[in-house]
Amino acid sequence: MLVQILNGLVYGGMLYVLSVGLVLIFGLRRVVNFAHGGLFMLGAYVGYAAYGIGGFWAAIVASIVVLGIFGIVLDRLVFRALQKQEPMVTVLVTFGLLMVLEDFVQSVWGKDLLTFTTPPSLSGTVAIGAVSFPVYRLVVIAAAVIVVGGLSAWLKLSRAGLYVRASSVDPVTTAMQGVDTEHLSALVVGVGAALAGLSGVIAAPLLALSPSMGSTILIESFIVVVTGGLGSFTGAFVAAMVIGQLHNLGVVFVPNIASMVPLILMVGVLIWRPAGLLGAKA
Amino acid sequence: MTLLQFEGVCSAYGSARVLHDVSLSVSKGERVAILGRNGVGKTTVVNTCLGLASMQSGRMAFLGRDVKAVRTFTAARSGLSVVPQGRRIVSNLTVRENLILGGAPQRKGRWSVDEVFRLFPILKERAETPGTAMSGGQQQMLAIGRALMSNPDLLILDEPSEGLAPVVVDELGETLVKLASGGMSILLIEQNFGLVHKVAERYYVLSKGSVVEEGKLAGLSMETLKKHVAV
Ligand SMILES: Nc1ncnc2c1ncn2[C@@H]1O[C@H](COP(=O)(O)OP(=O)(O)O)[C@@H](O)[C@H]1O
Ligand SMILES: [Mg+2]
Repeated sequence: MLVQILNGLVYGGMLYVLSVGLVLIFGLRRVVNFAHGGLFMLGAYVGYAAYGIGGFWAAIVASIVVLGIFGIVLDRLVFRALQKQEPMVTVLVTFGLLMVLEDFVQSVWGKDLLTFTTPPSLSGTVAIGAVSFPVYRLVVIAAAVIVVGGLSAWLKLSRAGLYVRASSVDPVTTAMQGVDTEHLSALVVGVGAALAGLSGVIAAPLLALSPSMGSTILIESFIVVVTGGLGSFTGAFVAAMVIGQLHNLGVVFVPNIASMVPLILMVGVLIWRPAGLLGAKA
Repeated sequence: MTLLQFEGVCSAYGSARVLHDVSLSVSKGERVAILGRNGVGKTTVVNTCLGLASMQSGRMAFLGRDVKAVRTFTAARSGLSVVPQGRRIVSNLTVRENLILGGAPQRKGRWSVDEVFRLFPILKERAETPGTAMSGGQQQMLAIGRALMSNPDLLILDEPSEGLAPVVVDELGETLVKLASGGMSILLIEQNFGLVHKVAERYYVLSKGSVVEEGKLAGLSMETLKKHVAV
């Protein structure tokens, strides 16, 4: 049972790091980013390439840096123009982008499953009470905790974080106060993409790498964002943790419908609280 | 020095032109009012300064410098601070955070969070509450305090008395007079003649997007002023 709960935390933590990027991008650009799963997948592959050259920590750094820069470029070239468009255009363009990324990765690395081995220094298990648990999975939980803490501190305590919060509810008033909200949005999309890259690379040793690995997790990530309340960071955290648990408990107790459990939760929340668990009241 | 100058400005939202050939100016130390009924384009004057309405022709200058490619953040960084119509307090920020947001241009000067708290002690009491959880009058104080945080050369207020009780409007007038006597230049957009009379020394009347009247307030009775605006 303890192992199941810990595994739920691992999955929930990974989901949170991915989903919070979606929340950031939606908050500042009002763009629902279907390409986010592609960024996750690209992060895993960039990490895979860097791992071969400089080891695990190089993989982490490379994914964060490459995806962060890619995010800023994406904001300048695509998202900035999308914010004035109809939602349907946004869906089509970002979904198209996901496919382009998948094709790109497939042409470079092929479509066969690749394994990203757990770094030797983090393999092995530790005893927690009566059970033993893989060290690497604890590292994933720790990474999620660091992202939660770091992001909350940045948003709550720094000037830039204050501008981000202000801009996510009222970009025009924020700009009136002298903040360059375009610049800020590019930075935030960069951070969101870097977090997608980070979640991809930390998830890589737990999953097999394939060009389509991003599409699967994208669905659950959207469920997290919608369930938590669009635009709510705390909501995304709570939803990711709940869905992480449901995901694992579902696999154990109701294996036939496990993949439907998070979906059922989302539908329930939408009926009971349309704005999401912690979303602003509409 | 001329802090804000419009010369033959035509301004529009998309293809819908709202301002026609508007010329006006506010110099350092002046208190100027813009009067006019609903929908005549008063807010559009502000929106043109903020790049929210696009200037199609004419010339606009902030502190004597021509502004060509205006962005929404340009005015605040150049020293023109706006207290927008409807106050626009940011709802997910506390009172203190709204003030810090106003300090974004990081221009040097006497105004700081503590200095705003000295001007409006009630804001200090409510410092950690959400900005929108206060009364209309308190929110107006916060909007003014937030605008002061950038240490502006010109304070632009768009219908600050809107929705406030008469006694609160009186207090607002006193605050503005106090700021003016401290050397602050003010552009006051208003429909409340009492407030205009108390604060401003010069006025423009706007009608259907054009300046139809301008003059000095000294010696002008409230009745005459009302007649001018009713054109
Ligand atoms: N964002 C906008 N888009 C299009 N038209 C607008 C917009 N804001 C105002 N208008 C139009 O411009 C005209 C002037 O509006 P405004 O400047 O807000 O008037 P006032 O502040 O004097 O009441 C009105 O006819 C109004 O309908
Ligand atoms: Mg108006």
